[in-house]
Amino acid sequence: MWLEVLSEILKLTIFAGLALAGILAILIWKKDLKTKVSYLRFFVQATAMTAFFFIFSYTTQLLLILVVIFALSIFFGRFFCGWLCPFALYLDLVAAVRKAFKIRYWNFPDKLNKFLNRFRYALLIFFIALPFMLEKIEPWQWSLAKFLIGPFKLVSVLLGPVEPLVIPWESSLKLYNINLSYPYASVIAFYSGENLALIAISIFIAITLASSFVVRRFWCRFCPTGVSFAVLNRFKIFRWIPLLRLNKVEEKCTKCGICKRVCPAQVTDVYEVKGGDITTSMCMLCLRCVEMCPYEDCLKLNMAGKTLFKSRNWLEPSKIE
Amino acid sequence: MKNSSDKKYSIEISQKEAEEIRNAIKAASLKVMDEYIERMKKSWPNRPEAMQYFYDIAKFFGTREREIQEAKEEGKKVIGYTCMLAPIELILAADAIPVRVSSGFYDPVKLGNRIVPVEVCPVVRSTIGVEMIGLSPYLKLSDALITPLTCDGMTKLSEILSDSKPVWTLYPPRLKDSEQSMFFWREELRTLKAKIEKLTRTKITAKKLKAAIEIMHKATRAFRRLQEIRKDAPVIMGRDAMLVNQTSMWDDIKRWTEKTEELCNELERRIREKVWACPPDTPRVMIAGSPAIWPDNWKLPNLVEEASPQGVIVADELCSGDRFLFDPVGVDEWTMDDMFKAVAERYLLPSTCPCFTSEDGNKDRVNWLTARIEERRVDGVIYHVFRGCMLYAMEYMRIKRVLDKINVPVYYLDTDYTREDVGQIKTRVEAFLEMLKSRVEF
Repeated sequence: MWLEVLSEILKLTIFAGLALAGILAILIWKKDLKTKVSYLRFFVQATAMTAFFFIFSYTTQLLLILVVIFALSIFFGRFFCGWLCPFALYLDLVAAVRKAFKIRYWNFPDKLNKFLNRFRYALLIFFIALPFMLEKIEPWQWSLAKFLIGPFKLVSVLLGPVEPLVIPWESSLKLYNINLSYPYASVIAFYSGENLALIAISIFIAITLASSFVVRRFWCRFCPTGVSFAVLNRFKIFRWIPLLRLNKVEEKCTKCGICKRVCPAQVTDVYEVKGGDITTSMCMLCLRCVEMCPYEDCLKLNMAGKTLFKSRNWLEPSKIE
Repeated sequence: MKNSSDKKYSIEISQKEAEEIRNAIKAASLKVMDEYIERMKKSWPNRPEAMQYFYDIAKFFGTREREIQEAKEEGKKVIGYTCMLAPIELILAADAIPVRVSSGFYDPVKLGNRIVPVEVCPVVRSTIGVEMIGLSPYLKLSDALITPLTCDGMTKLSEILSDSKPVWTLYPPRLKDSEQSMFFWREELRTLKAKIEKLTRTKITAKKLKAAIEIMHKATRAFRRLQEIRKDAPVIMGRDAMLVNQTSMWDDIKRWTEKTEELCNELERRIREKVWACPPDTPRVMIAGSPAIWPDNWKLPNLVEEASPQGVIVADELCSGDRFLFDPVGVDEWTMDDMFKAVAERYLLPSTCPCFTSEDGNKDRVNWLTARIEERRVDGVIYHVFRGCMLYAMEYMRIKRVLDKINVPVYYLDTDYTREDVGQIKTRVEAFLEMLKSRVEF
C-alpha cells in the first residue's frame, strides 16, 4: 500500500519537476521579449493538460473538480481560460499551424463583438435550460444536488473544455481500444443518441477546428464555462476580492493601438478605457497585450496590490532572468 | 519638366537667377552650419568621439548628398516625405531611400513669400523656396514626395510641390479612435503602397516588409536608448541629442543606428564615471510645439544652451525630435496583412500632432507631455510656436492649464524663420531660465 502511495508521489514530483524545468528553459532560451510570455503560456497550457489527464484518471468525481476550479476562479478569474484550459490549447495549436503557414486571421467587426458579448449570457442560460427542454422532468429530480450530478450532465457542459483527449472511462470515440474524447464530446453523444453520436461529434470537431483556424480563440468568445467565470468579474461587489487584474497607467499610454490588435479575444477595452482597472469579462489574461506594449510600466498585471508582470521596452534584448 | 503654363502655382524664375540665389544661400548656410557646430562644440568641450560623425552628417551638403546621387545612378529611387506620418517602412521595403524634406533654411522664406502670403507657416514657405531654387539636395534628388495632409499649410504645400514632382498625398483622419478611421487610413496606405511599387518597380513582399520593419526596430531601439540616457543628470547637451535625432531623417538609417549605439555606449560609460556635460543642477528645459529643424532654425536650442544662466534641453515634444522614431511597429504575426496593419497603426495612432482631435480634447498629447515631464524631471517648458502655425498656437491654452495644475512653468515663444528677433528672444529666454534657476535652488 505505502509503496503505491510513494510511487504516486514520485510520479507527481517528476511531473512537477519537468514542468518547472521546461518553464525555466524557455525563460532562459527565449531572448525575444515579444514572444517570451506566449511561449511560457504554451508550456503552462501543455502542462495543465497533462495535469488534467492525471486528475481525470484518479477521480471521476467531476463535480469535485468543477467546485475546485470555480473556487480558484474567484481569485484568478478567467486566468484559467488563458493559461490552463486544454480546449484553448487545441485552439492555440491550430492557430500556431496557421501562423506557420503565414496565413492571416480574420477579426470580427467591433459591432458583432459587442453583440456576442451579450449573446454569451443567453447561450449560458440555454445550456442550463437544455436538459429541461429535452427531457421530461420528474419532481424528484428538482433538487439541486440531483440536478448537478444527475442524468442531465450540466456539470459536463461546464467541464467540457477540460476533457482530455485520452480518457480513462468508456467513450463514444474509440481508436485501437484507446478511449478518445474531445471537449463536449460526451455531452453531444449523450444528447444525440447512440446512432448519431459519431457524426455529431465529428461535425462539432470539424467546426471548432476550422473556425479557430480563421478566427483566433473562436470558441472562447462564447464558451459557457468562461462566461460563468466572467460573471464573477462583472459585479462590482466582488471588487474587494484580490483578483488578478490588468491595470493601465493613463499617462504612459499614447494609444498606439498595439494592445487592441494583438488581443486574441478582440477586447477593445484595453485600448478604449482611459486608465485604471481594465479587466473585463472577455479578457482571458493571456497577457499578450502586456507583452507587446512598447511603453514601460504602462500595462501591469496586479494581484492584491502587487505587480506580477508589466510592460517593458521590448526592443531591448532580454536579460537572462 | 512640365510646361510653365500647366503649372498651378509656380512663378517663372530664370535658371540663372535660381543658380545665383542658390549659391549665395548655400555659401551662407554652410558658414552658418559650421558656426553652429563650433558653438555646440564650445559649450560641450569634453564631447565624446562618436559625436563627430553626426557633426559631419549634419553638414547637409557633401558626403550624404554624393552617396544618394551614386545610389540613384545605380537605379535606386529616393522618396521624400514632409511629415512623420509617412510610413518609412514601406519606402525601405521597396528598396528606396527615405529622406525628410521639410526645410529649416531661413533665407528661402523670402522666395516662398512670392507665392504664398507671409502669414503662412514658415516651414511651408521655406520648403517652397527651397524647391524653387533647388537648394536642399534631398528635396532635389527625391523622385516623389509623400505629403500627409496634416494641417492647412501641408495641404496646399502638396499642391505647390506637385508643380515640379509627383506628389502622393496621404489624408490622415482627424479622429483616430474609431474603426472607420483605421479602415480609411489603411486604404490610404494601400494606395500609397501601390504607388511606391509602381515607381520603384519593386513589389513589397512580406519578406521585404519584415526586413524593413526589423531595420526600423533597431533604429527605434537606438533612438529610445539615447532618450533614456537623457533622463538623468545631463551627460549629453540637448542640442547635440536633437542633432542626432534629426540626422536620422536624411542619413542611411542602418549606419545611423550603428553610430547612435556607439554614442550611447560612450555616454553610458560617462554616466558610470559621472562625467556630466554641464552642472547637474542646470535648469532642465523641455521644448514643445512646432518643429525646430536643422540647420537654420536652431535658434531656440542655441539660445537655451548658450544663455546665462545656462539651461539644458532634456526633452522635447517635436515631430522633428523625441517623437520621430520613438514608437516601434508592433507586429503580432508576421503575415503580410498583420504587418501592414501594424505599420498603418504605428504612423497614425501614437502620433500626438495637434492636427488630431478627440472627445477628450487630444488627451494623448497631454499625456505624452506630462509623462515626459515626470520622467525627465523637467523644470520648465518652452512652448515653441511659429507664426502661422495655428494648431500648435491654439492648443497652447489647453497645455498651459494642465501644466499649471502640476506646477510646471511654461513660456510661450512665438517666432518666425528670421534672425532679427534673436536679441529680443534671448532676453526673454534668459529671464525664464533665471526664474527656473531660482526655483531649482529653492
